[in-house]
This record gives sequence, structure tokens and C-alpha cells, in this order.
Amino acid sequence: MENLEFLSECFMVLKQKKEEGKKVIAFISHDNIPEELIDAAGYIPLRMVFAGNDELMDASHDYLPPSTCAFAQSCIGAFSIKPNNLKFLDLIDYVVISNHCVSDICASEIISKYYNIPQLKFYVSYTKTENSLKYFKLELVDFKRKLEELRGSVIETQDLMNSIVKYNNFKRKLSELSKLTIPGSQKLIHFQRAILKGPDYLPELETFLQSQENAQKNEKGKPILLTGCSIFINDYLNDLIEDGGGNIVFFDTWVGFNYYSQIFSDEQINSSNDPIDLLVERFKNNIFGDHSVPNYLESKISQIEEFSINYKKKFGKKVGVINHIIKFCDHMSIMSSHLKNKLQEKGIQVLNLERDYSRANRGQLTTRIEAFLEMM
Amino acid sequence: MSKCFIGLDIGSLATKIVLVNEGKLVDYRVERSTFDFKRVGNNLFNEILDKNSLNKNDVFIMSTGYGRNTIDIADDRITEITAHARGVQYFFPEAHSVIDIGGQDSKAILISKKTGNVMDFQMNDKCAAGTGRFLEVMAHALEVPIEEIGSLALNSSNPSAISSTCTVFAESEVISLFARGTSKHDIAAGIHKSIARRVAGMAKRIGVAPQLVFCGGVAKNVAVKKFLEEELGYGIVIPEHPQLTGAIGAALIAQEHNGS
Repeated sequence: MENLEFLSECFMVLKQKKEEGKKVIAFISHDNIPEELIDAAGYIPLRMVFAGNDELMDASHDYLPPSTCAFAQSCIGAFSIKPNNLKFLDLIDYVVISNHCVSDICASEIISKYYNIPQLKFYVSYTKTENSLKYFKLELVDFKRKLEELRGSVIETQDLMNSIVKYNNFKRKLSELSKLTIPGSQKLIHFQRAILKGPDYLPELETFLQSQENAQKNEKGKPILLTGCSIFINDYLNDLIEDGGGNIVFFDTWVGFNYYSQIFSDEQINSSNDPIDLLVERFKNNIFGDHSVPNYLESKISQIEEFSINYKKKFGKKVGVINHIIKFCDHMSIMSSHLKNKLQEKGIQVLNLERDYSRANRGQLTTRIEAFLEMM
Repeated sequence: MSKCFIGLDIGSLATKIVLVNEGKLVDYRVERSTFDFKRVGNNLFNEILDKNSLNKNDVFIMSTGYGRNTIDIADDRITEITAHARGVQYFFPEAHSVIDIGGQDSKAILISKKTGNVMDFQMNDKCAAGTGRFLEVMAHALEVPIEEIGSLALNSSNPSAISSTCTVFAESEVISLFARGTSKHDIAAGIHKSIARRVAGMAKRIGVAPQLVFCGGVAKNVAVKKFLEEELGYGIVIPEHPQLTGAIGAALIAQEHNGS
């Protein structure tokens, strides 16, 4: 089943949950939204992880200029056009306004304002200083209070802890998935479904993992580490990479490592009295996300270098890095030259691949990817 | 004749075919790609076979360029980036960098001195600015044949400033300069400087250095070469057949892959 069909299935699942009285809380994805709090409140966290196309981006221009991040444009376009496979956007009860980047705020506010979806605000500190951790905790407490107001009762500490454990176990399974020696496209399908459906996807994920236990290694193509922006549902980028003779062996992106690596050890969970403190701790330790200031790039470079060395030792092949930059995503584009230069100094080949979701540049993207694979 | 290798470079504006035998360029053809570039490619292929009394079984065909994946007569394919890097070394074995300006895009390529392989590259995005298409639009706006716009620009003593990087906006800017009475020479020089600035900026980002080879159809334009040299601060070289480097590179790589 392709992931577009999976979206239709999601519609049915969400509809059923809504009929059971649950509310859907959507947000433009990033790694610091406390989905465990939403889950503990008895609501459904819905990550908007849908890539765009020309039609969706064009539709967003009623509100924002084309110089806005292409992903944010697509999110607005999705609400504006509501293509058949995204009909479940009608089921959203609240949208979280957060500040992963300027486009995140703009797009979320426009979606809330023009599509009459009430908003919940959750702002994220940029640094990891004592003060910013204090502010992050205040945001968590405030977000929890708002959810409690909505449901009309307190979120019990044990319920929040149970949600944390549930998501933790789910992410551990995703980590197992990432280690399989299978084509990147197969991993990506499961990452995307898992991130959209959350821990409800665990049974399907476990079935797949079990089916791979005795399967033969099936990893063809030149090994690629994907960093930068995620490949969201309905994006053709991975097809271009595999058709060109490459294979993504590590998704160092939000749909991938930056999500499933945000876990707690059993010791952390067992010794914690306050689950809110656990969430603060996770934010503090999230040093690889692009929201981590000031040492994000240095951590990222070390992490990629370490992966590259270990991969070479294990498989005898050099990994090439594709740094995926969605057009007008300043987060990624500003730092791309530095990242490329530093990795190249370490002997790692890097392709900075800047693009939007339009069909017009598919030919040029193919050439860039294939040329990079030839270069490897 | 021993096994021959054909390089077929299907660009957005021109299709180029070369026949290589024992590492030497034997014959070539160039024709406008048109919308039916498959037909153009097939016609050129049949022509070059007929002219050299060859059959399809006598040759190995490596396609490259924009239409490389859609031409079904090709035995193998390679990107134009790899092909140009190899092709310029046919003319200049010491080449270290390449600037290729074609009909639809421009590229800067860095070649490893040790291996002769591509070390890094940059391409313009889907925007037409800094490409052959940009020059065509501007020549049309100035009402001069494309072949003459370069020499027209070299007669300028006071190049106009063209600030727009977008082809559509630059065309409007050219028309308004024209309306204000600015000479064609000065506008043409401004247009060429604008291309040179944009392409040199892209090339500098990957650290191009001498010996730098300028190829692609736009390399035939004398003014782009002059202004590129000014922007880069050193002289650049142009092969005898700047439009053929991609096709020659493809044919040479085909020969190397086949162990000849």
C-alpha cells in the first residue's frame, strides 16, 4: 500500500476516534512538541507531514509570498485545496502555533485564522541555558494547563508517565527499523506512517520487524546519509535517489533519527518523580536537531562523521551525504555551506540539494543527484 | 575500424553527437533539439553511421544531457556533469575547473588533479538567468541575431547596469533602458556582465581555479568570456569545439568503461 492510500486509511481511523469523542490536535511537525502531553490528555496528536506540489504551493500564495518555505506553503495549500487524500484535515479541532521557524508560526497562524481552527500556543526556547530550560518548562506547564482546561480535568502524573513510556517504546522500535539492511524506500514508508499514526502504528511496525528477522540483506545502491529537511509523505525525492542508483541508509532528519532518538533510558524513567522534568531533560539533550543553539552544527558534523566511519568499518563503503534543503528554509540553507565545507574537510562528499516541490525542476534534481552518485 | 564510441548529448536547445575511435574525435554533428529530441537524436545517429559506413553493432552509444534517459538507442547514460569534466580533458589535459553554460542551465565543475574525476559541482536552479536561454530572450528584446550580440557588447564603453537576475524582469529592464535612449552596445554589455557575475558567483562557491575551461554553446560568445575573465580575475580557455565537450566526454567514458 502506498503512503497516499495510507492517508485515506488515516481519515477512517481519525473519524472513528472523533466519533468516540476524541479531539485532534494538529501541528506543523518539529521535534519539540510534547505529543505525550496531548496523548495523556486523551487527544490525538496529528503531525502535518505532507509534502507539497505546484498546486498546493500556488494555492498558498493567496496568503503568503512565494519566498516562504515551500513546506509551509504546501501546508497552507493543503488546507486551501483539501485534496481528496487530505480530507481528514477537516477533522482537526485545534492547531498548535509554535516557533520552530518563522514560516512555522506564519503558516500555523494563517491555518488557524482562515480555516477557523482554534489555536494552542507552545513556544520553544532556542538556547539550552539555565534560563531557556526554565522557560521551556513554563511552556510545558502552560500547555498542560490549556489541555486540562479543554478536557475539564487534570492530567494525572501517572497518565503522562504512561504516555511517555508508550512513545518511548514506540521510538525504540523505530530505532530498530533504522538499523535494518533494507532499501531506504522501505524504511521511509514505515517512518512516515509511524510518525503520522503514532504508537497506534506499533502492531504493524512490529509485524514488519518480525518479517525481517530472517530476511536476506537487501540493500543495493550507493549508500547515502540524508540530512537537512525531511522527506515528507507524497515527496518523490527518495525515488529520484533510488532510480539514480543510490540508497538512503540513514535518515538524519526529523522523519527519522531526529524523532526516534528522542528517548529516555529506563533509569531516567524509573528515577523520575515529575514527567514534566523528563520532557525538559529531553529538550536539553536534543543536541542534533536544528533547533539546538548554539552548537547544533558542530554536533551534527561530529555525528555524521561518526556514522560515516562506522559505516565504512562495517560495510567497507564510503557514505555520501545529501543535505536536503527545502527552498526558503533559512534554518537549513544558511548553514549548508559551512556543513558542506566542514564535512568535505573530513573527506566526506556532500551534495547540497536545494529544491521546492514543483514538478518543473525534477529534471535538474535528477541530474544533480545522478552526478553526485557518479562522483561517489 | 576498431570498436567506435558515440557520445550523444541531448541538450534543451541543441543535440550534439560525436564519433570517437581510439580516443580521437572522428566525426560530429550538431542540430537544434526541438520538441521532438528523440527524432533529432535518432536522425543524427543514423547520419553519422551512414557517413562513416558503420552499423549499429559497430558502436557503443553513451547518452548524456537533459534527454539522456529518454533516448532508447543508448546503451548506457551518464550525466552531463561527469561528461563535461571528462570531455574538457580531451582538449586540456591539465584542466582543473569547468564552466559550462548551456541552453537551460549553467554549471561549475571542479576536477580532481589526481584522478581527473569530478570533485564538486554547482548548478543553477530552475531559473533561466545565467543561461543560453537568457541570452536568446535578451537578443530578441534588442532585435539582434544571437550570433551578433556578443560582439555588439564588446563595442560598449559604458555598460549599463542590469540589476534584475530574473529573465522576465531583466527583459523589462532592457526595454526600459532602450526607451530611455541607451545604446544597444551598452545594454548588450550590461546583459553579458549580468550573466558573467551570476555564473562567476556560482563558480567561486566551489572554488574554481585555473586552468578553467569554458564550454557549452554560450562559450562561443566572446563577450561572456571577456566578462567572466574580469569577474574571476584570470584568463580562461575555450576548446576548439566548446559545444561538443559533453558528447566527447560521454564517448570517452564509454570507451573507458568498455576497456578500450
